[in-house]
Amino acid sequence: MKTESEKKAKPWGKVIVLGALSLASYLFLFKNESAVMELYTRGGISTAYPILTVFWFSFTHGAFASNLLSCLGIEAKSSGH
Amino acid sequence: MKKFVIAVLFVLFPILLSTAAMAAGGAGPSKDMLKGQILSVDAAAHTLLFEKDPTGEQLTLKLPENIAPEEVKLNRKVLVNLVHQEGEHQAEGEPSAAAMREIKDIEIMFLTMTLGRILALMGIGAIGGLLSGFIGSGGAFVMTPAMMSLGAPGAVAVASNMCHKFPKAMVGAYKRWKYGQVDIKLGLVMAVSAIIGVQIGIQIQKFILAAFGGAGSNLYISVVFLVVLVFVGGYIMMDAINLMKGSKAGDDEAKVCKLALTMQKINIPPMMTFKTAKITISAWITLPVGILTGMLAATIAVGGFIGVPGLIYVMGVSAVAATATELVIAFVMGAWGSFQWGLSGLIDIRLTVLLLSCSLIGVQLGALGTTYVKDYVIKLVMAATMLIVAVSRGAMVPSYLIDLGWVQPISPSTLSLLNSLSFWALISALVIAGGIIIVAMIKGMTAGKQAA
Repeated sequence: MKTESEKKAKPWGKVIVLGALSLASYLFLFKNESAVMELYTRGGISTAYPILTVFWFSFTHGAFASNLLSCLGIEAKSSGH
Repeated sequence: MKKFVIAVLFVLFPILLSTAAMAAGGAGPSKDMLKGQILSVDAAAHTLLFEKDPTGEQLTLKLPENIAPEEVKLNRKVLVNLVHQEGEHQAEGEPSAAAMREIKDIEIMFLTMTLGRILALMGIGAIGGLLSGFIGSGGAFVMTPAMMSLGAPGAVAVASNMCHKFPKAMVGAYKRWKYGQVDIKLGLVMAVSAIIGVQIGIQIQKFILAAFGGAGSNLYISVVFLVVLVFVGGYIMMDAINLMKGSKAGDDEAKVCKLALTMQKINIPPMMTFKTAKITISAWITLPVGILTGMLAATIAVGGFIGVPGLIYVMGVSAVAATATELVIAFVMGAWGSFQWGLSGLIDIRLTVLLLSCSLIGVQLGALGTTYVKDYVIKLVMAATMLIVAVSRGAMVPSYLIDLGWVQPISPSTLSLLNSLSFWALISALVIAGGIIIVAMIKGMTAGKQAA
């Protein structure tokens, strides 16, 4: 008999889309490294840039990681503490 | 999810407002540190012309004897640490004392990214994230020294790790909230007093730096490390071992300790009920735990080593809920600290996102790992980490005592050995903690699949 997790479809689609988005973000940042570093280290109001950037990476890369773990069958125990 | 996002915004908005005020009040990077670029060097006078960021103000600074003029890199962003001076007395008509200040050292601000550095940052991030998701402590005590050993200046390492810590803590807290482990209300209440504690910790550090200099400050930090990690880590280890023995004898339940039971009986309003943590306690009891968390975070960069034991042994929260709730505190303090460091333009976003690339995976693994293990395993990992890091910091104490002139110098080979011991103890703390977590998770998952 299949377990509940096996019955759920694995979110490979989300993994691919989010993974691509995350990878594109990393490539964009490192391809424009000099400009990014110049802008992000000006101080003052430019503080917003690194803060917003890490939020972006948290949501895209974090969601990618979460879905990847689900696809690999690595999930939390169903009855918690 | 909606509740969680609202909680995040509720926290971030006042932080944004208060940061401006606090930055003006002197929190954040030291005033003996300048950021900018060196325009020219006068070899004959042994001085250089420095342009400050972002104002463009130009200063003439004195080079120390140990830096040769030809070693100085021009037109690259650098961090210049100045020799600390007491309050300046400037006579009328004389040039500003700041123009003649002496340099202690010059650091290139931003590393050149090599494949080795990228892989190292990803590896450090992975294990640090795993630890953070499991025991609620951010791993800053390893990540910051690790980034410095890769060549990042101390201030940039601290700033970049801070900016990595809060999103990682946010993701970890969200995952553990989904598992029903996070008490958001408790986390936010503790975070408020933790921020107060950080301010107190910073003032103490400034006093010690002014009174005893850099070596004295390093010694103070190491002594705090040792005292907290040895005593608190030792206590947690004993508790974990007793629980493990009890578990093998069939008694699985972690009992609330006598101190926490006493604290919960104190009936001084306002009394607060924390549903997920399953405690009702006076708000006054939460204050010292939160303040000490903040003070420790300001001193050794890991508030969780007091915060989590405080939640467990003073307030009576379970290890699972305590480590999960600590992530909320870590998120708030990390966000607040990031704003402050960001205002000074010291965050190297490349270091931050490279750490995040694997720590966001690690923190989620660590978080779900807590659903497979018993309470005592979490305590065991925390205690093991604390005790090994105590060895690491202890190994550095002799060098600080020598710098202060309190003990006779020892041979360079012995000093080098102690430095290596310190470094490898840090690495082993990560590896051992990571190993315990992964083994416990695999055992738990395998047992779960067999039962199914």
